[in-house]
Amino acid sequence: MPAPHSRRLREALLAYALILPSFVVFGIFIFFPFAKNIEIPFYETRGGIGFGQNKTGGTRTWVGFDRWRDVLGSDEFRDTLWVTVKFTVLTVPTGIALGLLLAVLAHQRLRGITIYRTIFSSTVATSAAVASVIFFSLIGPQSGVFKLRIDGIPLLEHPTWALPAVAVVTTWQSLGLAFIVMSSGLQALPDEVLEAAEIDGASARRRFFRVTLPLMSPTLFFAFVVGSIAAFKTFAEIDLLTPGGGTGNNTRVLAYAVYDAGFRTPNGEVRAAVLAVGLFTCVLILTLLQLRLERRVHYVA
Amino acid sequence: MRLRPPTIVSILTLLFLLAACGGGGGGSSTTNATGSGTTSPGDTVPDLSDQCDLGALETAGGPVEITYWHAMQQANEETLIELTDEFNESQEQVKVTLLNQNGYEDNFTAFQTALGTDDSPDLVQLEDTALQRVVDAQAVVPAQACLDAAGANTDDVVERVVAYYSLGGVLYPMPFNVSNPVLYYNKKSFEAAGLDPEQPPTTFAEVREYADAIKSSGMEYGFAFKRDPWVLEQFLSLAGEAYVNNDNGRTGRATEATFDTPTAQAVFEFLDGGVGDGVFLTNPASGPSALDNLLSICNGNNAMTIDTSAALGTATQVLESGGCIAEVEVGVAPLPLPSAEVEGNGGVLVGGAANYLPANGDPARLAAAYTFAAFLASPESQATWAAGTGYIPVSKSSTESDTIQQLWADSPGFKVAYDQLLTGADNVATAGPVIGDYKGVRDTLTDALEAFLVEGSSPADALAAAKRAADEKIEAYNATV
Amino acid sequence: MSPRGALVVRYASLTVLGAIVLFPIYAIVVNSLSTTTEISNGFPWFPSSPDWGNYSKAWDEGHFSRYLLNSAIVTIAITAGQVATAILAAYAFAFLSFPLKRTLFVLFIVTLMIPGEVTILQNVATITDWNWKNTYWALVVPFLASGFGAFLLRQAFLQVPDDLREAAFLDGYGHLRFLTRIVVPLTRPAIAAMGLFAFLGAWNQYLWPLLVTSDDRYRTIQNGLSQLGGTSLQEFTTTYAGTVIGFLPVALLLLLFSKQLVRGLTAGAVKG
Repeated sequence: MPAPHSRRLREALLAYALILPSFVVFGIFIFFPFAKNIEIPFYETRGGIGFGQNKTGGTRTWVGFDRWRDVLGSDEFRDTLWVTVKFTVLTVPTGIALGLLLAVLAHQRLRGITIYRTIFSSTVATSAAVASVIFFSLIGPQSGVFKLRIDGIPLLEHPTWALPAVAVVTTWQSLGLAFIVMSSGLQALPDEVLEAAEIDGASARRRFFRVTLPLMSPTLFFAFVVGSIAAFKTFAEIDLLTPGGGTGNNTRVLAYAVYDAGFRTPNGEVRAAVLAVGLFTCVLILTLLQLRLERRVHYVA
Repeated sequence: MRLRPPTIVSILTLLFLLAACGGGGGGSSTTNATGSGTTSPGDTVPDLSDQCDLGALETAGGPVEITYWHAMQQANEETLIELTDEFNESQEQVKVTLLNQNGYEDNFTAFQTALGTDDSPDLVQLEDTALQRVVDAQAVVPAQACLDAAGANTDDVVERVVAYYSLGGVLYPMPFNVSNPVLYYNKKSFEAAGLDPEQPPTTFAEVREYADAIKSSGMEYGFAFKRDPWVLEQFLSLAGEAYVNNDNGRTGRATEATFDTPTAQAVFEFLDGGVGDGVFLTNPASGPSALDNLLSICNGNNAMTIDTSAALGTATQVLESGGCIAEVEVGVAPLPLPSAEVEGNGGVLVGGAANYLPANGDPARLAAAYTFAAFLASPESQATWAAGTGYIPVSKSSTESDTIQQLWADSPGFKVAYDQLLTGADNVATAGPVIGDYKGVRDTLTDALEAFLVEGSSPADALAAAKRAADEKIEAYNATV
Repeated sequence: MSPRGALVVRYASLTVLGAIVLFPIYAIVVNSLSTTTEISNGFPWFPSSPDWGNYSKAWDEGHFSRYLLNSAIVTIAITAGQVATAILAAYAFAFLSFPLKRTLFVLFIVTLMIPGEVTILQNVATITDWNWKNTYWALVVPFLASGFGAFLLRQAFLQVPDDLREAAFLDGYGHLRFLTRIVVPLTRPAIAAMGLFAFLGAWNQYLWPLLVTSDDRYRTIQNGLSQLGGTSLQEFTTTYAGTVIGFLPVALLLLLFSKQLVRGLTAGAVKG
């Protein structure tokens, strides 16, 4: 029958129209540069006028997957990936748990709760640069308020504790956003389900773990996906607090290596391109895993 | 007929010019030849004046507008603005607009993307270490070309500065802001430790001696330093040793690092010993802790440090303002030598930045940019510049001006920095290393410093590892040109 | 525990956590009002004589007056654009069915994964080719879409109860009316959150404005801030003041709109 078909067609066309503006922007400013970026490591460029990616002229030789293999098999890729994983594990679960905790606490009907909600979301106003300055003003060995040292070594220069320190700063800085996201997820929960659980006499903790948390799973899932992607891409705090990637490169994450190769190393664009694609692939795999997990675990009210 | 001396000179000059012009060759091949830095210092330098048409200024018919991308901040920026205004108001042919690019790194990134486009700057301030990269990228017109066209020379410029910024006898940028590291110390702390405040240490051994004395007098540390690879470059240069091969990259492209010498080992051991014995304090060279070595003097934890002469102005201001925990009277001394034996073998390296002329293909703008850059390097401007910023004047005659004489009388530390550039020998070591991936090589040294100063490995191992890593970086870069 | 006691505990835990979260911000404000000496001598918990000089210095040296307007224009434009495109896209993903829906959605998420370092230089070249350098277009257009926004809003839209949707369509609501009369009001907190995130991202941009503008008249606040991070000694307190100036507008915005966010948080799902 013509009617349902044309209805579906209209719906599809409407959908594409709604998505189109976003897609045009993405296409030009994200997918296109990324595609060009993938092309770079297949060639070896020598000579030419200009710097790095912006060179003109020179000779371009096809080298196939050689450079891909070199860089992806390099110590640098492995080491920085490992630091990135450590960093992600340190920041994402903590950030989400804290955000959820604050959201639950701020969800109570208490007088003056608005003030607390504002305070909890306040870190959202800070940027990586601001958070780094703030943090350093607190712990700087000569200029800070608390002049923090461990074994006589300033915190940010410590071979073991520098990464956790940067993780703390990053977590603090994103706490406001975590709180806001968790709160907006919390408010969407149907009150009657929560009330029913309360009437049933379940304890607060029981209610939380058996009812609230599963109902929050879409929000939690969202937070984990977005959080891990963001953690993998973190660069600013690390560059500001531990320039050079920390003592013994213990805070040198993959995103740092990408920036270093692409912006600070002369003619380093091949290395940067491979590392960036490596970064992207790891994040993609991580996200797809999470997507698959979500489909399995998704709780329907 | 006896030939009077002037005539001999004129004949010789004529002969020289003839030889130079004859050896000249086309514009583009000259660029390539000097581009790889393969001419030895003994070759006659071709006349590049056809790359720079100063006459284009006259025929432009109206003020030529140019942009200067710089990285100067705060007080330095103010002095630059002052000079630029002076230049703009003094003539009608060139109008300069300044753009503050926040720092050397961002300036370079922006320059990279703008080169060859309409947006390219006409004069750009790039850091000292950028020379090889810029030459390899064929991104600039050598300043030498405009100097030749103008019939000007670099006789008034401090020799070491010219040597640093020239390859194969061709000066690439116009010199502008120069600094070098000096020894800062607190005279009051010296007195308290029974040391003569007018006799600062001159060798490593003396630094250690003094530091021990200061520590015994109750201060937590005697000497602080940044884990900055620049420092090793300076000490090797003082000892007259080259940092990379092929005469520091000047007679041919550098292909390996040569800094793993006994002197370097001695430097590392000196630093390691001091830190290990709790007499020396260290901090990172960049990032939020980068000023800790100076701050520690303010906090009364320490009495000596090495830092750039460019910090002298603000350091004195802050340290002596009465706002510090410790009572401070700032003393400035030349950089100590690794040992008394190497005295005279070398000297301190040139640091800072210089003004390059991007190759934009517009002769009028090139001529205009050169005129402005020449103004900035002129004796009068350099006097104002040095007095306003604390950078070392590159013009020797500017030091005779009242401004500089007054500056040096008020703050003798500035004279120390200047004198350092003229003391010692002028050879390939003091001309400074020319490396493509300078930052990469410096990173390997930062890693080495961290390794033996913070992580506990041995200086020898750290040095060897740095040499290996540096060789890799040099190779990797050479494979791209 | 008595109900009174439980209440005290609740307030206490909230206060402690609030203090921990807020302390760093409090510290920087205090530091920005002090002099370097005071800071070296120990944390001035409450500055006796606040030194506002740091602020005027930071304001001047960071050229804030010049950059503030640009930052405002660009940030508002980007925020509005992102909210609009995200709402549209999220609506499609949440309420419509169409071929390739899943793939397209994954592509939206993919945009989040691509590191900025990869795209920025090519985008500068694109902008240069289009002659957009030194225009507001260059500062705004590349950021008009948001994968994060579409993702967050889709999540929020999916939580609109199905019966509401069915009721609306039975009542003859078209898509537009459904969107504006029901979906948007219901998901206001999520939209506000997304808008805030967009605002911040735009406000905090640094490298992009630097590379696409060579005319100081188009530069943004972050450029001014970075000019304060000097390498000379006396800059610390000025930097602190500059930092506070840098995040003050956003903090104010947050305060203004926290009512919006909060209202959504207390209302719960609207019924009927």
